[in-house]
Amino acid sequence: MDILENKTQWQKQYHDNFLEHYHQTGSLDWRQYPHPRNTRAPAGPGIDLSRSRLMLISSAGGYLDGAQEPFDAAHPLGDYTIRLIPSSTPLEMLAFAHDHYDHGAVDQDPQVLMPLRHLEALAGEGLIGEVASQTVSFMGYQPDVGRVVDELIPPILETAAAERIEAALLIPT
Amino acid sequence: MGLIARALELAGTATVIAANNPGRTRITAPPRVTFTPLPRGATLGAPGDAAQQRRILKATLELLAREAPLKPVYLDERG
Repeated sequence: MDILENKTQWQKQYHDNFLEHYHQTGSLDWRQYPHPRNTRAPAGPGIDLSRSRLMLISSAGGYLDGAQEPFDAAHPLGDYTIRLIPSSTPLEMLAFAHDHYDHGAVDQDPQVLMPLRHLEALAGEGLIGEVASQTVSFMGYQPDVGRVVDELIPPILETAAAERIEAALLIPT
Repeated sequence: MGLIARALELAGTATVIAANNPGRTRITAPPRVTFTPLPRGATLGAPGDAAQQRRILKATLELLAREAPLKPVYLDERG
Protein backbone atom coordinates (compact mmCIF):
# COMPACT_ATOMS: atom_id res chain seq x y z
CA MET A 1 0.00 0.00 0.00
CA ASP A 2 1.22 3.50 -0.85
CA ILE A 3 1.34 6.58 1.36
CA LEU A 4 -0.35 8.40 -1.51
CA GLU A 5 -2.20 6.38 -4.11
CA ASN A 6 -1.55 7.56 -7.68
CA LYS A 7 1.30 9.82 -6.57
CA THR A 8 2.72 10.27 -10.08
CA GLN A 9 -0.66 11.28 -11.44
CA TRP A 10 -1.19 13.67 -8.50
CA GLN A 11 2.21 15.30 -9.09
CA LYS A 12 1.49 15.80 -12.79
CA GLN A 13 -1.85 17.49 -12.00
CA TYR A 14 -0.22 19.67 -9.35
CA HIS A 15 2.71 20.72 -11.54
CA ASP A 16 0.77 21.16 -14.79
CA ASN A 17 -2.07 23.20 -13.30
CA PHE A 18 -1.65 24.63 -9.79
CA LEU A 19 2.12 25.17 -9.83
CA GLU A 20 2.23 26.31 -13.44
CA HIS A 21 -0.46 28.89 -12.71
CA TYR A 22 1.55 30.12 -9.73
CA HIS A 23 4.74 30.44 -11.78
CA GLN A 24 2.93 32.33 -14.51
CA THR A 25 0.86 34.68 -12.34
CA GLY A 26 2.48 34.72 -8.88
CA SER A 27 -0.88 33.86 -7.32
CA LEU A 28 -2.39 30.62 -6.02
CA ASP A 29 -5.61 29.39 -7.60
CA TRP A 30 -7.06 26.86 -5.15
CA ARG A 31 -9.76 25.91 -7.66
CA GLN A 32 -6.95 24.14 -9.56
CA TYR A 33 -5.56 22.37 -6.50
CA PRO A 34 -5.84 18.55 -6.65
CA HIS A 35 -6.71 17.51 -3.08
CA PRO A 36 -4.88 14.26 -2.30
CA ARG A 37 -7.19 11.25 -2.01
CA ASN A 38 -6.75 7.66 -0.95
CA THR A 39 -9.35 4.92 -1.26
CA ARG A 40 -8.06 2.49 1.38
CA ALA A 41 -6.61 3.03 4.86
CA PRO A 42 -3.69 0.89 6.07
CA ALA A 43 -4.26 -1.98 8.46
CA GLY A 44 -2.46 -2.23 11.77
CA PRO A 45 -2.90 -4.02 15.10
CA GLY A 46 -4.20 -2.29 18.21
CA ILE A 47 -1.75 -1.74 21.04
CA ASP A 48 -1.76 -1.57 24.84
CA LEU A 49 -1.00 2.13 25.27
CA SER A 50 -0.25 1.67 28.97
CA ARG A 51 2.78 -0.39 27.92
CA SER A 52 3.76 1.70 24.88
CA ARG A 53 5.99 4.65 24.05
CA LEU A 54 4.05 7.43 22.33
CA MET A 55 5.31 10.38 20.29
CA LEU A 56 3.38 13.57 19.61
CA ILE A 57 3.42 14.98 16.08
CA SER A 58 2.09 18.51 15.70
CA SER A 59 1.50 20.58 12.57
CA ALA A 60 0.96 23.82 14.50
CA GLY A 61 4.29 25.33 13.47
CA GLY A 62 5.73 25.17 17.00
CA TYR A 63 9.41 25.86 17.59
CA LEU A 64 11.69 26.80 20.48
CA ASP A 65 11.63 30.54 20.71
CA GLY A 66 15.15 31.96 20.40
CA ALA A 67 16.77 28.53 19.99
CA GLN A 68 15.37 27.28 16.67
CA GLU A 69 14.66 28.87 13.30
CA PRO A 70 10.97 29.62 12.86
CA PHE A 71 9.22 27.94 9.95
CA ASP A 72 8.93 29.94 6.72
CA ALA A 73 5.32 30.76 7.47
CA ALA A 74 4.89 33.28 4.66
CA HIS A 75 6.18 31.04 1.85
CA PRO A 76 3.35 30.58 -0.66
CA LEU A 77 4.48 27.03 -1.45
CA GLY A 78 5.01 25.95 2.18
CA ASP A 79 7.83 24.71 4.40
CA TYR A 80 8.67 20.97 4.45
CA THR A 81 11.13 20.91 7.35
CA ILE A 82 10.64 19.63 10.89
CA ARG A 83 11.79 20.78 14.34
CA LEU A 84 12.37 18.38 17.21
CA ILE A 85 11.17 19.83 20.49
CA PRO A 86 12.01 18.14 23.81
CA SER A 87 8.70 16.91 25.22
CA SER A 88 9.66 18.35 28.62
CA THR A 89 9.86 21.90 27.19
CA PRO A 90 8.12 24.52 29.36
CA LEU A 91 5.09 25.77 27.44
CA GLU A 92 6.24 29.39 27.68
CA MET A 93 9.31 28.52 25.56
CA LEU A 94 7.12 27.56 22.58
CA ALA A 95 6.43 29.94 19.73
CA PHE A 96 4.34 29.28 16.62
CA ALA A 97 5.17 30.18 13.01
CA HIS A 98 2.20 29.31 10.80
CA ASP A 99 0.20 31.88 8.83
CA HIS A 100 -2.81 29.69 8.10
CA TYR A 101 -4.75 29.61 11.37
CA ASP A 102 -5.82 32.07 14.06
CA HIS A 103 -3.24 32.02 16.87
CA GLY A 104 -5.63 33.46 19.45
CA ALA A 105 -6.23 30.14 21.22
CA VAL A 106 -2.68 28.75 21.04
CA ASP A 107 -1.17 32.03 22.27
CA GLN A 108 -3.40 31.81 25.36
CA ASP A 109 -2.87 28.09 25.89
CA PRO A 110 -0.36 26.10 23.79
CA GLN A 111 -1.97 22.85 24.95
CA VAL A 112 -4.90 23.36 22.56
CA LEU A 113 -2.44 22.20 19.88
CA MET A 114 0.65 20.87 21.72
CA PRO A 115 -0.54 19.09 24.88
CA LEU A 116 2.89 18.40 26.37
CA ARG A 117 1.77 18.66 30.01
CA HIS A 118 -1.41 16.65 29.44
CA LEU A 119 0.57 13.79 27.90
CA GLU A 120 3.02 13.85 30.82
CA ALA A 121 0.09 13.69 33.21
CA LEU A 122 -1.54 10.81 31.33
CA ALA A 123 1.77 8.93 31.49
CA GLY A 124 1.93 9.65 35.21
CA GLU A 125 -1.56 8.20 35.57
CA GLY A 126 -0.52 5.05 33.70
CA LEU A 127 -2.72 5.55 30.62
CA ILE A 128 0.40 6.04 28.46
CA GLY A 129 3.42 3.83 29.11
CA GLU A 130 5.94 6.52 28.22
CA VAL A 131 6.11 9.75 26.23
CA ALA A 132 8.95 10.00 23.68
CA SER A 133 11.70 12.41 24.62
CA GLN A 134 11.15 14.44 21.43
CA THR A 135 8.03 15.90 19.88
CA VAL A 136 7.94 16.33 16.09
CA SER A 137 6.80 19.74 14.93
CA PHE A 138 6.19 21.13 11.46
CA MET A 139 4.11 23.81 9.77
CA GLY A 140 1.08 22.17 8.25
CA TYR A 141 0.87 24.28 5.13
CA GLN A 142 2.39 22.12 2.41
CA PRO A 143 0.52 22.16 -0.86
CA ASP A 144 3.06 19.91 -2.65
CA VAL A 145 2.10 16.45 -1.43
CA GLY A 146 4.93 14.92 -3.45
CA ARG A 147 7.34 16.89 -1.29
CA VAL A 148 5.43 15.80 1.83
CA VAL A 149 6.09 12.18 0.89
CA ASP A 150 9.68 12.72 -0.27
CA GLU A 151 10.95 15.41 2.16
CA LEU A 152 8.73 15.70 5.24
CA ILE A 153 7.85 12.10 6.00
CA PRO A 154 11.35 10.49 5.89
CA PRO A 155 12.78 12.50 8.84
CA ILE A 156 9.59 11.83 10.80
CA LEU A 157 10.02 8.08 10.22
CA GLU A 158 13.69 8.38 11.23
CA THR A 159 12.71 10.17 14.44
CA ALA A 160 10.07 7.53 15.17
CA ALA A 161 12.68 4.79 14.74
CA ALA A 162 15.28 6.62 16.86
CA GLU A 163 12.69 7.16 19.60
CA ARG A 164 11.68 3.48 19.42
CA ILE A 165 8.00 4.36 19.64
CA GLU A 166 5.07 1.99 19.37
CA ALA A 167 2.45 4.74 18.95
CA ALA A 168 2.02 8.24 17.57
CA LEU A 169 -0.59 10.91 18.27
CA LEU A 170 -0.97 13.39 15.43
CA ILE A 171 -2.62 16.75 16.07
CA PRO A 172 -3.34 19.04 13.11
CA THR A 173 -4.48 22.62 13.50
CA MET B 1 -1.49 14.54 8.77
CA GLY B 2 -3.34 11.66 7.13
CA LEU B 3 -0.37 10.81 4.93
CA ILE B 4 2.06 10.89 7.86
CA ALA B 5 -0.23 8.59 9.84
CA ARG B 6 -0.37 6.20 6.89
CA ALA B 7 3.42 6.19 6.56
CA LEU B 8 3.93 5.46 10.26
CA GLU B 9 1.27 2.75 10.36
CA LEU B 10 2.81 1.07 7.31
CA ALA B 11 6.16 1.19 9.14
CA GLY B 12 4.65 -0.60 12.15
CA THR B 13 3.70 2.28 14.47
CA ALA B 14 0.10 2.52 15.67
CA THR B 15 -1.28 5.97 14.92
CA VAL B 16 -4.26 8.11 15.78
CA ILE B 17 -5.21 11.64 14.68
CA ALA B 18 -7.24 14.17 16.69
CA ALA B 19 -8.71 16.40 14.00
CA ASN B 20 -11.32 19.05 13.40
CA ASN B 21 -11.41 19.13 9.62
CA PRO B 22 -13.24 15.98 8.46
CA GLY B 23 -13.30 16.97 4.79
CA ARG B 24 -9.59 17.18 4.10
CA THR B 25 -8.41 14.55 6.58
CA ARG B 26 -10.96 11.84 5.76
CA ILE B 27 -10.12 11.70 2.05
CA THR B 28 -6.50 10.83 2.85
CA ALA B 29 -7.75 7.59 4.52
CA PRO B 30 -5.81 7.57 7.81
CA PRO B 31 -5.87 4.42 9.99
CA ARG B 32 -7.57 5.94 13.08
CA VAL B 33 -9.02 9.43 13.57
CA THR B 34 -11.39 11.39 15.79
CA PHE B 35 -13.20 14.50 14.59
CA THR B 36 -14.72 17.36 16.53
CA PRO B 37 -16.55 20.44 15.24
CA LEU B 38 -14.09 22.69 17.11
CA PRO B 39 -12.56 25.66 15.28
CA ARG B 40 -9.26 25.59 13.44
CA GLY B 41 -6.44 26.59 15.80
CA ALA B 42 -8.08 24.99 18.85
CA THR B 43 -8.07 21.30 17.94
CA LEU B 44 -8.20 19.98 21.52
CA GLY B 45 -10.71 22.48 22.85
CA ALA B 46 -11.03 25.90 24.36
CA PRO B 47 -7.90 27.59 25.75
CA GLY B 48 -7.70 27.05 29.49
CA ASP B 49 -10.29 24.26 29.44
CA ALA B 50 -8.00 21.45 30.56
CA ALA B 51 -10.96 19.15 31.20
CA GLN B 52 -12.14 19.38 27.59
CA GLN B 53 -8.60 19.00 26.23
CA ARG B 54 -8.02 15.86 28.32
CA ARG B 55 -11.43 14.45 27.38
CA ILE B 56 -10.64 14.76 23.65
CA LEU B 57 -7.14 13.40 24.15
CA LYS B 58 -8.34 10.37 26.08
CA ALA B 59 -11.14 9.61 23.61
CA THR B 60 -8.61 9.83 20.77
CA LEU B 61 -5.91 7.75 22.47
CA GLU B 62 -8.46 5.03 23.28
CA LEU B 63 -8.63 4.21 19.57
CA LEU B 64 -5.03 2.96 19.66
CA ALA B 65 -6.26 -0.21 21.36
CA ARG B 66 -8.33 -1.07 18.30
CA GLU B 67 -7.19 -2.72 15.10
CA ALA B 68 -6.95 -0.38 12.10
CA PRO B 69 -8.47 0.67 9.84
CA LEU B 70 -11.32 2.15 11.86
CA LYS B 71 -14.21 4.27 10.69
CA PRO B 72 -13.71 7.90 11.83
CA VAL B 73 -15.10 8.58 15.31
CA TYR B 74 -17.03 11.84 15.76
CA LEU B 75 -16.77 13.37 19.24
CA ASP B 76 -19.65 15.42 20.61
CA GLU B 77 -17.65 18.48 21.72
CA ARG B 78 -18.43 22.19 21.43
CA GLY B 79 -16.11 25.17 21.38
